[in-house]
Amino acid sequence: MNFLAPLFFLGAAAIAAPILVHLVRRTRARRVEFPTLYFVRQVPQRTIRRRTLHNVLLLILRCLAILLIVIAFTRPFFSGGSSAKTTTGAGATVLLIDTSLSMKRDQLFPEAQRRAEAVIDDARNDEQIALLDFDKRYSVINRFGADKNRVRLGVHSLNVGWDGTDYEQALRGAESLLAELKTGGPKKIVMISDFQASGWNQTTATFKLAGDTQLTTLDVGGNDSVPNVAVTNVEARGVIYTQKYADNLAVHIANFSDVPVEHVAVDFQINDQTVEKRDINLNSRDTKVVEFTGFNLNDGSNRCSIDIAVNDFAPDNRFYFTLKRAVPAKALIVESPTRGRSDSLHLQSALTTDDDLPFGFTLKTAGAVDPANVPEYSLIILNDAGTVSPGLADTLNKFVVNGGQLIVATGPRTDVTSFNNALQTVMPATLTEAVQTKAGESVSISEVKFDHPIFEVFQQSGRLAAAHMIGYFRSQPAGNAAVLARFEDGSPALLESHSGKGRVLLFTSSLGPSWNDLSLTPLYLPFVHQMVRYAGSHEANSWYGMGQTFTVAKDKQGAIPAIDTPNGTRLSENRTTPDGDLLVTGREPGFYRLRYNSSPDFAAVDIDGLEGDFTKLDFKQFLAGVTGGAGAAENSEAARKLSNEEIEGRQRVWWSLLLLALILLLIESLLARRTKVVKMIG
Amino acid sequence: MFRLRRSKQIETAPPVTTSSASSVTPARFLDPELLAHINSLELLARAVVEGFMSGLHRSPYTGFSTEFTEYRQYNQGDDLRYLDWRLLGRTDRYFIKKYRADTNTQCHLLVDTSNSMKYSSASSITKLQYAQFLAASIAYLLNRQQDSVGLVAFDKRVHTHVPARNRTGHMRTIFGHLSQLTAGEESNLSQSLHQLAEILNRRGIVVIVSDFYDHPDRLKEAFQHLRFKGHDLVAFHVLDQNELDFQFDEPVLLLEDSETQEQMPVLPDVVMNGYRERIRRHVEKMRQCAASNNVDYEMMTTKQPLDYALFSFLSRRAGKR
Repeated sequence: MNFLAPLFFLGAAAIAAPILVHLVRRTRARRVEFPTLYFVRQVPQRTIRRRTLHNVLLLILRCLAILLIVIAFTRPFFSGGSSAKTTTGAGATVLLIDTSLSMKRDQLFPEAQRRAEAVIDDARNDEQIALLDFDKRYSVINRFGADKNRVRLGVHSLNVGWDGTDYEQALRGAESLLAELKTGGPKKIVMISDFQASGWNQTTATFKLAGDTQLTTLDVGGNDSVPNVAVTNVEARGVIYTQKYADNLAVHIANFSDVPVEHVAVDFQINDQTVEKRDINLNSRDTKVVEFTGFNLNDGSNRCSIDIAVNDFAPDNRFYFTLKRAVPAKALIVESPTRGRSDSLHLQSALTTDDDLPFGFTLKTAGAVDPANVPEYSLIILNDAGTVSPGLADTLNKFVVNGGQLIVATGPRTDVTSFNNALQTVMPATLTEAVQTKAGESVSISEVKFDHPIFEVFQQSGRLAAAHMIGYFRSQPAGNAAVLARFEDGSPALLESHSGKGRVLLFTSSLGPSWNDLSLTPLYLPFVHQMVRYAGSHEANSWYGMGQTFTVAKDKQGAIPAIDTPNGTRLSENRTTPDGDLLVTGREPGFYRLRYNSSPDFAAVDIDGLEGDFTKLDFKQFLAGVTGGAGAAENSEAARKLSNEEIEGRQRVWWSLLLLALILLLIESLLARRTKVVKMIG
Repeated sequence: MFRLRRSKQIETAPPVTTSSASSVTPARFLDPELLAHINSLELLARAVVEGFMSGLHRSPYTGFSTEFTEYRQYNQGDDLRYLDWRLLGRTDRYFIKKYRADTNTQCHLLVDTSNSMKYSSASSITKLQYAQFLAASIAYLLNRQQDSVGLVAFDKRVHTHVPARNRTGHMRTIFGHLSQLTAGEESNLSQSLHQLAEILNRRGIVVIVSDFYDHPDRLKEAFQHLRFKGHDLVAFHVLDQNELDFQFDEPVLLLEDSETQEQMPVLPDVVMNGYRERIRRHVEKMRQCAASNNVDYEMMTTKQPLDYALFSFLSRRAGKR
């Protein structure tokens, strides 16, 4: 319980008044001489004793009434613990303690533990208490039980982690735990956190607490603005196939405070060697992108980091990522034998102009392909390949099932029957009929899934419709196929399906100039590059978020490498994919060393960039959001910051106290009137 | 012979010579509180008695007086003055003439001066004052009828004893002693009455003025003792009205026993009903005790006019004779 005006407790001294009156009147009972006490003594004394008790009751009533009035004037409002005591029935409380990275600041976490212990102390002895810690996820430390010591031990066993914050997840966890509870009584969630605004997204939040669940928030973060500059993100291609990093490596640096920060030194390091330094200025609440390019990379995995030289919250001043320089995989373009210029000319040209593609391409006609060599390739593009021989078809089916990437583009030479029969098991659609538009007419690609990796680069331009299609196949998509783009008449233009470990992309028009002018437009190059990169998208991320699970593939001998965590300890994960690859979840920032026999590899894990934003959550919106405006929540910390009117509205308990005091005084008055005795004696 | 004459002078009694007498009626004048303003007990007694009545009372004893009652045979040793010579002359037999004597009876006024008698509630006289007034009035009344009056004052022992006399000036002695009486120590009424029963050898009227705070059984024995000695007993049970009502304004009192000084916290409104019941029972027992021993008993409060006491006393006496 907290009080708005605790000084009024001085008024409790008024209790002394009835007590003093009681004592004084007791000693000043008038002495009266009486002829004999013989008859008075015969009156049963228990009557007097009962009256004495009666008067003690009056005294207690008066003291209690004064005390209630005093407490009413102190304007009390209840915190979680105290209100727990006032509720009837045992009830259940879920204690949610924030163990996200931001709680590493100052003494926030010890304070949170102290507040948690206070809540436990204030709980009723028979109250069911459960303990959960949370960051972006929640974990149950103690299930419901009335053993306070067990919960205290649980609180002491907690440690702050490195992950971000998600209050909605935490509340979901608490709610699900409460749902398991069979016993009745009031349900309460006490959330102890620094309440960062970044921990709750109002626009996406959908969770609402049950109507009978009360949420109490205990803010340990304080109200002061905490300056902090952080590296929030690095955008980089995890794998390149050239020595020089030709793309732009974008580093996002944010100033989360209201004060501008000048001369922030940004240090880009590769394998602990500084590659480049920048000096930037940041306005208040500003984010800047620093770009690095043209630096060289060694073969294999390179450990990279961005450091900023600021004296604030240290964990977000360094960002880890890896850049891998890899050898391109072998890819094959299969076409139909033609006279004159090959229809794959544009395709071949497009795929060989950029040496930073994950594949090195070879062009062959369908008849020239030796099925025995097919497994050597990682990607095969059937570009209007004509008739597919049964042997090649069988090999291609196995190729896809075993993880090969297949891109199929149709064209005027495509043999529909042989195509459908030969590749039916892996193809995303069955081709039905070839469509030729009338002379002077064309269709364009109109319905596109821009959220797909192939088309996401076209999202802003919107120029895919610039290509004119004069011929294409209508198709019947397979059950497991996804249509990524359609022509104007609704026929699928680009389809995708997975078969086994592999993936198949089917373009129902041509990648050459036979059926469209796509290859003559500026869209062609990025379009085929995106398809090829997507097909070869087995490349690793340059970094993983905290708590994100990544796959550690087996080496060529089929052995899983040993893994060292950033702090140097050996990781003992045993979760694997169905293929036997190891699943590792990043638990701390830094480089996880994957000890392959051939050469070491690294996986970078970083904290959530927004965890360094200590901007306070809007409690009003938060409480209204999670309770659906039902008002079953209370925020003891925020209450101190509210206006007087709001405070007045929030602690109406003083009305009840005054009312109770008046009732007590009324009872006292009736009692005193009835007995005609106002004072008492011992 | 005792004669009761309820005097009409109650209403027509001549006013007493006091400065305020002209403004009050005689009956009103008999109010004990007003009488308390009269310093002289003699004057007070006269005011009461003269204003109330004058009369005679019959001697309970036969003797040699003027009123013939019977003859009896002469025995040797009889006084020859009472020999009926005429009868001797006519019959030659010796008879003695017997007369009912209007003798001067002896009356002892027993006044309780124990500490409990000094009690008075607000705007009232003390019980001792009332007893003094009553005793003085009765003494005056008796003296006016030529009876011998004695005075005994006692608390736990007899400390004042004025033998009964009928001499001129004896009344002053009585009044003098009466006016000097003060409440003394604790009482032991029954023991004092036993003691007096031994002291008072000659039979007579014994008027006891007391609050009778003693156990009725012990008082009964004392009455029997006095009765055995041949005394005619009159008991005036004097109480303050508040001793009957137990009315106090204060919610809490620390009552102190006048005699034992024992203190006791009391809530009057709590105790009142129980107390009233017990004092009522005590008075009732006293009344029964007196009736069973042929004692004239009258319960008086200090608020009651003295003429009422005298009237009650004399009417009972008249009824008895």
